[in-house]
Amino acid sequence: MSELSSPVPRDGIPLGEPTVSVRRLSVHYRVASTELGATLTRRDRVRRRVGLPRTVTVRALDDVSFVARAGESIGVVGQNGSGKSTLLRIVAGLETPTSGEVLATSTPTFLSVNAALVPEVSGLQNIRLGLLAMGRSPAEVDELVPDVIKLAGIGNAVHRPMRSYSSGMGARLRFAIAAAARPEILLIDEALATGDAASKERSEKRMAEIRSTAGTIFLVSHAAQTIEEMCTRAIWLHDGELVLDGPAEETARSYRWWAWNVAKGEDDVAADVLEKCRARLRATLVRHEDPKQHIPRHSPAS
Amino acid sequence: MSPSTSAGVPLVVEDVDVSRLRPVGRRPNIARYIANLWGRRHFIVADSRVRALSGERDTILGRFWLVGRPLLDGVTFFLIFGVLLNASRGIDNYIGFLLIGVFLFTWTSQSLTQGAASLNSGRNLIRGFAFPRASIPLALALREAIAMGPRLLTLVAMILVIPPHAQISWYWVLFPGVLVLQGMFNVGVVLYAARLVHAVPDLRLLLGFSSRLWMYGSGVMYSIDRFVEHPQALAVMQLNPAYCVLEISRDLLLYATLPEPRLWLTLAAWAAATPVLGFLYFWQGEEEYGRE
Repeated sequence: MSELSSPVPRDGIPLGEPTVSVRRLSVHYRVASTELGATLTRRDRVRRRVGLPRTVTVRALDDVSFVARAGESIGVVGQNGSGKSTLLRIVAGLETPTSGEVLATSTPTFLSVNAALVPEVSGLQNIRLGLLAMGRSPAEVDELVPDVIKLAGIGNAVHRPMRSYSSGMGARLRFAIAAAARPEILLIDEALATGDAASKERSEKRMAEIRSTAGTIFLVSHAAQTIEEMCTRAIWLHDGELVLDGPAEETARSYRWWAWNVAKGEDDVAADVLEKCRARLRATLVRHEDPKQHIPRHSPAS
Repeated sequence: MSPSTSAGVPLVVEDVDVSRLRPVGRRPNIARYIANLWGRRHFIVADSRVRALSGERDTILGRFWLVGRPLLDGVTFFLIFGVLLNASRGIDNYIGFLLIGVFLFTWTSQSLTQGAASLNSGRNLIRGFAFPRASIPLALALREAIAMGPRLLTLVAMILVIPPHAQISWYWVLFPGVLVLQGMFNVGVVLYAARLVHAVPDLRLLLGFSSRLWMYGSGVMYSIDRFVEHPQALAVMQLNPAYCVLEISRDLLLYATLPEPRLWLTLAAWAAATPVLGFLYFWQGEEEYGRE
């Protein structure tokens, strides 16, 4: 068990069994690039000859490992393009990694920023459609709908086409739908940052409920403040690499200090912060063992 | 001694009991997939209903267009071929022949083009929720089948009303059988089109071309038997399921003759094989559909 994630977080929801195990995850993309300079490989020359653009490899994630447990809410911080959303999309099973594996107790529910489900129909019809998509029966849907409407808190707008919603309203409705089904693993990509104070409080309450019923929540945001307020643990990603993995407050503050220095142009200080945090990170070695198998694949660590 | 990195920093070792954990984003085996799909049957119905109405939502007449569009199609063909050109081309009841061709072929060609677009138009749902992705194309196939209701009523009304009037006969009893076979074939078309166009988006640009080619090869507006003289070419064209659907339907509805068994057998073979193979083909790509 990692000593960095304390067994009983500040709000008293105890940690349970692992729900998500991420082992040596890497994602490399090949994308078109107009970048000049660096020497052309043979592949580039062939592509140029037939009129295709030159490609470069982008390391969206590089050797990331961690284990999430029931009752945890894990914030993922990092600047734009650091691999936060890629990580979430892979944990959600929407993308396949280049190498490494992600195991989970159930298929995670993923909430992303592009919130409009079926823009032409009303919020109410979208609620029903979303709940049915998550495998609820029509009877359960009838039961859950009032709860979703209340949690979304968008008033009469629920009867209007979703295309007329502001991005904040859309995001709240999406969160309410996903949370209503009490998912075991909930992944949220910047969705809550747009809520007002009242809806934020309702969302926070619902997230605590999910965690207390042995759920795990991942929250991606580049606002360290949100992570500090809503999470028990935080992961800082930089250029696809893990910089820090620890209590939310500590990680979020280090990240904020770094981001502040970057914004001020204090690149030396920022580089120093990054370096120190990397040195503090204790890399996690995840070993997957199945007790049902007679011969353990690894000898136990002493 | 606990393991450490090359820099000497001790590692945190997490031994995870994986008996409760499963890999995410992997496609389940076919039996489990079908079971999951059955669990989403209410979703499939709800999704098809939502989409059936969303096409006409912005219009003033709304649902009227479910009947209005096929009616206008029929009137257009009647005006051009029946009144303006008066082109029978040696075919008995050419207007009826043409209307059956156009209305029934539309079902299959719509399945092809809409099926190709289905994963794209359903991508918000696909990214938002975990469900068997085949729900989306299947909902589309259901929607197209439901949309055939008003079209069929229009068709039957028109061939009865427009001279030379078609006569209702006992052969009409067999007509629903053709529709069932065509519907089964269309399910396969939707599933194939959905995955193919998702994998190779360029194919979308070829769809208009290929469905036009298919239309001319199916004898929608003329009789293949009369115009194609090359026996081998004719034999190949007669294996076309859309051609079988049109031939059988015309024999039953207009000419009160029992269609050749060869046509029935060809169509039945397509109707049995296409959805099964299309389903397997779609299932194999299950992991791809959430990607951007």
